[in-house]
Amino acid sequence: MFHKLTQKIDNHLHFDHVDAHCDIPCGIYDPHQAIIGALTVIRMVDLIDDFVKTHDKVETAEFINSMSRYVAVKEEHAELTKHEIRVIWGDFMKTPHTEEYPQLNELVHKIMQLGSKARQSVDRETSVALLQAVNEFAEIFWQIKGIKTKRVKAPYSVSEEIVVPEL
Amino acid sequence: MLLKFYKIRGHSLHPDFKDGDYVLAAGFPLPINKIRVGDVIVFHQPGLGTLIKRVQTVLNGGSAFDVRGTQINSTDSRDYGPVTREAIKGKVIWHIHKP
Repeated sequence: MFHKLTQKIDNHLHFDHVDAHCDIPCGIYDPHQAIIGALTVIRMVDLIDDFVKTHDKVETAEFINSMSRYVAVKEEHAELTKHEIRVIWGDFMKTPHTEEYPQLNELVHKIMQLGSKARQSVDRETSVALLQAVNEFAEIFWQIKGIKTKRVKAPYSVSEEIVVPEL
Repeated sequence: MLLKFYKIRGHSLHPDFKDGDYVLAAGFPLPINKIRVGDVIVFHQPGLGTLIKRVQTVLNGGSAFDVRGTQINSTDSRDYGPVTREAIKGKVIWHIHKP
């Protein structure tokens, strides 16, 4: 009752905020880079697949060079995705969030595993599953921030659905 | 101002004080409003703004205070050192919990 009453007064008088910060209070977190990372993994899997199908001679320097680059970028972006999720989960998300979203810890663990699997393999299904799990994480993140989201087709060479905030 | 309401933003005092709770802080001059270990204070920290933390240790006879949050990664005196008496805006005397 007191909280409701105080909130009403606050709506008129606008009380100052007092910050109970954790970590460095930069306040800048966004799962967008994780989504870009997961999309890039899918793109690299597609490129690797196409490249193998369109090249008969796999022992040329050109083939090995290009293939190495695709694999390196896939490795890097799978790891980037894992890193970005770890930072948001570890620094931004707190106990109240894991209480409100009991699936959160399991979801983060799933993203870590899918990220590793995406590095190990060139399986498109795995990389799409990684993106879907990151999308789910992004929806929870924006819900915590009180910002609505929508799913749109990515405007890139990989046109899978991604979660974006309605700003 | 002697009495002032604040709204809490953040989780570093969770579960004692939660995001969205309100507190009433009394800025009565010391020693009438003496600050003791366990009290929760509102203070100004340069670069970080107005913060709220719990007093863990009273230093130098009450001229400075070592403050802590409840989380492992709370930003508190472990990062910015003791809070001086001059930086204190008030001591929390009423906590209004968010339902």
